[in-house]
Formats: sequence, C-alpha cells, structure tokens
Amino acid sequence: MNAQVTPTSIAAAAPTAPHSPDKPIETHAVIVGAGPVGLFQVFELGLLEIKAHVIDSLAYPGGQCVELYPDKPIYDIPAVPVCTGQELTDNLLKQIEPFGATFHYGQEVTQVEKQDDGRFYVQTSKGTQFLTKTVFIAGGVGSFQPRTLKVDGLEKFEETQLFYRVRNPAQFAGKNLVIVGGGDSALDWALDFVKEGPHKAESVILVHRRDGFRAAPANVAKMKELCDAYEMQFVVGQVTGFEEDAGKLKSLKLTGADGVTRVMPLDVLLVFFGLSPKLGPIAEWGLGIDRKQVVVDTEKFESSIPGIFAVGDINTYPGKKKLILSGFHEAALAAFGASPYVFPEKRVLLQYTTTSPKLHKVLGVESPVFD
Amino acid sequence: MTHVVLESCIRCKYTDCVDVCPVDCFREGPNYLVIDPDECIDCAVCIPECPVNAILPEEDVPSDQLAFIKLNADLSRKWPSITKRKPALPDADEWKDVKDKLGQLAR
Repeated sequence: MNAQVTPTSIAAAAPTAPHSPDKPIETHAVIVGAGPVGLFQVFELGLLEIKAHVIDSLAYPGGQCVELYPDKPIYDIPAVPVCTGQELTDNLLKQIEPFGATFHYGQEVTQVEKQDDGRFYVQTSKGTQFLTKTVFIAGGVGSFQPRTLKVDGLEKFEETQLFYRVRNPAQFAGKNLVIVGGGDSALDWALDFVKEGPHKAESVILVHRRDGFRAAPANVAKMKELCDAYEMQFVVGQVTGFEEDAGKLKSLKLTGADGVTRVMPLDVLLVFFGLSPKLGPIAEWGLGIDRKQVVVDTEKFESSIPGIFAVGDINTYPGKKKLILSGFHEAALAAFGASPYVFPEKRVLLQYTTTSPKLHKVLGVESPVFD
Repeated sequence: MTHVVLESCIRCKYTDCVDVCPVDCFREGPNYLVIDPDECIDCAVCIPECPVNAILPEEDVPSDQLAFIKLNADLSRKWPSITKRKPALPDADEWKDVKDKLGQLAR
C-alpha cells in the first residue's frame, strides 16, 4: 500500500460505516487513532467483549508505521524478530478481525463532551457522532496533515486552485493541471488524470525538484512513456513564485536545475509533498496535559477525566518510553481499567487465550482438546 | 529527555526538520537551529529529515558534543520560534561536511 492517499488507496480503503447524520452511534468504546497501539487496543478490548469504533485522520490504518516508515524494518516487537511498519499493521488488522471493530477514516475528533448519564459525546470533522462509555486516545504524535508548498502568498488559492489532496477527481476534468511532488501520490494522480476516462485533464505537467522519484518504479516508467508520447510533460524544478490575474492563479514561476526561471500557465495546482503529524486539538479537551501529552496513571492508563484513557506515544508518565511494545502493554491494562465503565456489574478475571473457552469463543476459534 | 541539534547544523540550517515537528519546538538563530527541551516530546520524526544528520536524542549525543545539550537549552530561551521551512543558507553545501564549526556559531 502506498504511504499517501492515492487513487488506488481511496478505492481500497474500507468504507466508512453508514450512519444517520442525526443519530449518534452508541458504543462501548471509541478509539482515537488507528496506529499499532490503537489497533491493538481493539484486541485487548475485544477479549473483554468491549465493542469499539476507531477514528483516524488518515484514509487507512497504520498511523506513523505506515505514514512515516512503511518499508523500514522494526526489530523490537516481542517474538517478531523483524517486520516492516506495513507488515506490523497488516498483522494487527488480521489479529483484531474477530472483534469486528468499525473504522471511521479520514476524519478527526473535533468534540468530546461528558454527558449527564456519564457517557461521552464524540463528534468528528465529518459529522460522525458517537455516544460512548469510554474513550481511548491513541493519537501518537498527532494527526497527519499535508506538508504545504512554501511560496509566500500562494496559500490564498487553497481549495480553489491549489489542492493538497484530491477528494473529488471530477472537479479537475478538462483542466490544465500542474502536479508537484516525487512520491507515489504525485505519480498516481498524474497517471490518473492523463488516462482516458471521466476525469481526464486537458493537460498534465508533473514537476519534481529532481529527476528521481520515491515511487513505484513501474509508475515512473509509465510516466516516462507518456512523456515520450507527448501525453504529459515532466519538468525538473521548484515552484518559486506565481502570477495572478484578477484574483486568479494564472501561472507558476518554476526555477529549473539550470537556475533559469520559467513561467508555466495553469488552471489548477496539485501538491503532494507527503504528510507530517501535528498535535492538535487534543490539548483542548480539558485533560491533564504535560508537554502536550496526556498525563495518565500507570495502573489503568487513565487520564484526569475518568473514562478517558490514553495509550501509546500520546501519553506520559514517569519513566515513559515511546516504544510500540510499551503501547501494547498500556492497551492491555487500559482495557481492564475500562471494563467497570462498560460492565459495572461484571467481575473481570484475567483469562488466557491458550486455555479459556470463553476467550476462544470471542476469538472465534475452536477450543483445543487436551489429552 | 529531549532531542538535540548538533554541530553539523551550524552555517547550514536546512530547516527541513522544522516542517515535520508536531509541537513546533524549533528555535532559529542566525546560522543554527536549536530544539527547546521543554517543548520537545521525543517523537523522533525530525531525525531522518535532516540532510546532515544533525539531530539526535539526548542520550545518543556523542561524548565530544555533550556541550550542545546545554547550548540548545540556553539558546532556545533567547531565539524565536521557527515553524515553516525556508531555503538553507546560501553556502550550506560548502559547510555541511566541515567539522569543528562551533567557532562559526553566530548568536
């Protein structure tokens, strides 16, 4: 899977659960963040029969592992001598499959409010609403935002002629596009808009600061073929300025490797420089915060607000180490800490997946017969 | 703990790190960047961004550069915040492989 939102990943991403815009989804737990720790939180809650919904700002699961280092090997996951960020994510998704968590991608939590009945009202940037007994913040180092093109004054064209993500490809059909970037997103969208189809652009020019790409080699080869066939153009250079006419972006100033600045007319500028995390509104939820991280106890990894837990890189406590394996441990204890909020009457005993018929049932596996 | 900007940054100041910091903890001087140790959350996202490998966690700072831990703490009190990437210093490429640049530090 590509590390950025691409035409293929949008199509492949699990659909957001259908919901009525007026009626909140009632659930046991909302997990904020679908990184490795958020995913494993689903597992630990699942063993205790606590049902979870997961929200992530990205369009796909994996968090930092997938966004920042999908292909880099990780060596410190217990009993997994080596795996990549993508493999870790894929394995966690497989591990949590029995618990049927619902994923809400491409949205950020905008509101968390305690209700009179003790539950939390949670709302996202897409308007999805929840009423949940518990909240698990597994937000890592924040939500991933597109890196912007740093040209003074250009920001005023954002969402009219300058875009950092493609939500609706049809709006660019028949337009003269300039696409900036050297990763999979830039290449995938360039190829997509050149292709015959409902959103074929009038023209596509790909701009990258050097003649080397961090993208699938097959797509780079395909792009070069299309350039040779005059279907599109590739230019080495950097955007250093722009010209406007009557409040509209008319052309870009591109400075090439030769130091010469050229003017390139366009209708729409698409920029794909990847994403970087920003710790955002969690600081405004009224939780105890230390250096922008959520302060938790080390018994239940609960925040200063009972019922809101924080696990993984987002939390802090004496001796905290930002390791995936520490996040897994935190998720296990937080799940036990949450159980009294979800099932006040139930006495929760520690059970082992090796021997417990009850856990075998929730995992959907056969109980082994021992002679 | 915190992360620390080491000697390699001096007279280069590529500023790629600034863009990725989730908590905006970089501070900018005339020819060097520092990390505010009270703001840094040790997420390590900036480390691979630096083209000259100038950033390390405090614990991994080599023994001959330990002074930079205090230098980051001290200068971050005085220097303004930088949150957006900008062009590197014009002669950055000439200075990037030079060692012993502490004498070049402009305050």
